[in-house]
Amino acid sequence: MTLKWGYKRAFVRCALLFAAGTALQIVFGDLNNEFLRYPWGLIIAVNYLYLLVLIHFQKSRWTWLGQLADHYACTSSLGAMIAMTILFGLTRQDPSAEGLWATLGFTRMTSSWAFNILLLYFTTTTGLAVLEDMAHIRQRRVAAVLSHFAVFVVLVAGIFGSGDKLRVTVTTQQGQATHWGVSRSGEQVELPFVLTLDEFRMEEYAPKLYVLDAMNQTSSREFLSVEENGAQATIDGWLLTATQSLDMAGRMPDSDEYRAMEHIGAAPAVYVHARNQRTGAQREGWVSCGSFVFEPSYLFLDDRLAVAMPRREAKHYLSRMNVVTEDGEHLNFDIEVNHPARIGAWRIYQMGYDTERGRWSELSIVECVRDGWYSAIHIALWTMLAAGVVMFLTAGGRRKRKEVVK
Amino acid sequence: MTWEQLIWYAAAAVICWVAGAVMAFRGKPAWMTTTSSLAGSAIFMAFIIGMWIALERPPMRTMGETRLWYSFFLSLAGVAVYVRWRYKWILSFSTLMSVVFICVNLLKPEIHSKSLMPALQSVWFVPHVIVYMFAYAMMGAVTLFALYLWLRKYDATDDELKVCDNLVRIGWAFLTLGMIMGALWAKQAWGDFWTWDPKETWAAATWLSYLLYLHIRGHVKDQNTLFALLIFSFLLLQMCWYGINYLPSAQGASIHVY
Repeated sequence: MTLKWGYKRAFVRCALLFAAGTALQIVFGDLNNEFLRYPWGLIIAVNYLYLLVLIHFQKSRWTWLGQLADHYACTSSLGAMIAMTILFGLTRQDPSAEGLWATLGFTRMTSSWAFNILLLYFTTTTGLAVLEDMAHIRQRRVAAVLSHFAVFVVLVAGIFGSGDKLRVTVTTQQGQATHWGVSRSGEQVELPFVLTLDEFRMEEYAPKLYVLDAMNQTSSREFLSVEENGAQATIDGWLLTATQSLDMAGRMPDSDEYRAMEHIGAAPAVYVHARNQRTGAQREGWVSCGSFVFEPSYLFLDDRLAVAMPRREAKHYLSRMNVVTEDGEHLNFDIEVNHPARIGAWRIYQMGYDTERGRWSELSIVECVRDGWYSAIHIALWTMLAAGVVMFLTAGGRRKRKEVVK
Repeated sequence: MTWEQLIWYAAAAVICWVAGAVMAFRGKPAWMTTTSSLAGSAIFMAFIIGMWIALERPPMRTMGETRLWYSFFLSLAGVAVYVRWRYKWILSFSTLMSVVFICVNLLKPEIHSKSLMPALQSVWFVPHVIVYMFAYAMMGAVTLFALYLWLRKYDATDDELKVCDNLVRIGWAFLTLGMIMGALWAKQAWGDFWTWDPKETWAAATWLSYLLYLHIRGHVKDQNTLFALLIFSFLLLQMCWYGINYLPSAQGASIHVY
């Protein structure tokens, strides 16, 4: 295929933008988006939009402006974004990396000049497509108009709003009020509200038993999930039977016997009966993952193999949090993964807990995120969802059965 | 229901699918062909529902579980294309691809755990995975069709290219739905719509590549370019789906590990 001059010109433009970005990267290092903090991000965004409108209305008078809005510009900017994302995907993203790739900015693509310049070019061609759609709305497919608009809004909000986003990690201790956290860059940040952890709750999955191989230091792939007394599974030639399972148990320091115990630090324990299916050898004893109070217990099957219980996996965990706003308003939230609390432009996410203490954790780690551009992106994403549905419903809908070639 | 029973359900489903494909080739009435193929899909879905009930969670967490959905949606995509355009070969293609993924699942059985980490316990989990698997199935179908058109000795007709376009449009629409649902879910779970996680990066590359096809389709007449782009896009999709599990640059860097 011979490439048309329009394509050549457009792709050369992308190559030049990439080269310029790389040169800027070498000279100035990473692109810092702090200059986009409110109100500057908004001011620059408004000016950028004004510039796009200006280009749209002046493009017929100036050939080079017209070349930003033609099909070749659209294709080349899309092609450039594909190339950049592939480069992004093939290069390990590591902010602390050094060497040639790091100098060129490829190991920190989101803050690399070349990526951001080409992203802005892609945003520009998309924005001009939106204006073109608006000018000829009746001749356009609904899905294309909605997609162009939504992608453009997401990109503009993502680029110009990037400086406004603030993420603050807060470690809350049960019963202790705090309004300080640490930002991603390690700075202490004062929050516009006070957080108090009233309670941390966790529900865990049933204990699982694995067979460990001490010689190879490996664990069996299969496991016995102890959901009820009498649960059985054959692992590595041993038939394991969980004869008794205690959700909360403990043992005296000089004893191997576990007994039920309602106390902080109690650990799950399972009494296991094991029978070797080949030799008939039998073993039995308690197995426990232990806790911050109790040591773990294993059932040794022979010189090499032992039955072990890893720490139980978390099913749900939530922080019952009391929040006092600047206005003195008291709010109560149950914050869970996938269920953040919302206070104005802030959202509070459940991040972690004291993994050493597990269900007995007395602290909860939450992340407070301020995102002033949330609504714009949210609306654009729902528009994009609608565009996807419209595209699906209208794909191929214009042809009649009679025309079909069998 | 256990993974061991897959072979029986799959065998019954494949018999129905093969019967449907043979009937399509022999020009039997469309209702017969469709009924047989859909019966196969229903049997396969029965297995998936059985696993869902037995595991007490959606069977979408592991790679093998996503392959189940892929086989199921491929069969449905085949029927949809057959009903819409009556291509008699499409059911053979979709059956063949479904069988390949069933074989992978049979030869590489997985250990299933009922555990579902808290981040996956979201209203977005099921639709996000289902629409992506449907999109992958559509793109799989269009890739096979493009290869068939590309490798045969004469050029594709306009109608055949339009079939490619329509399949890509449907597939791209579903890729978009999957990606947006993922973004909305990520915001709920972690506070960011998009983090350039390796999975997301390759999903973006795949989405952009099919988007490029849709944009150049009306301007580029060279069929080699169009077919090459379709196949290249599908390679990006493979990288997104499971390739990142083997890609050195993505090791330990993705939260989409399964």
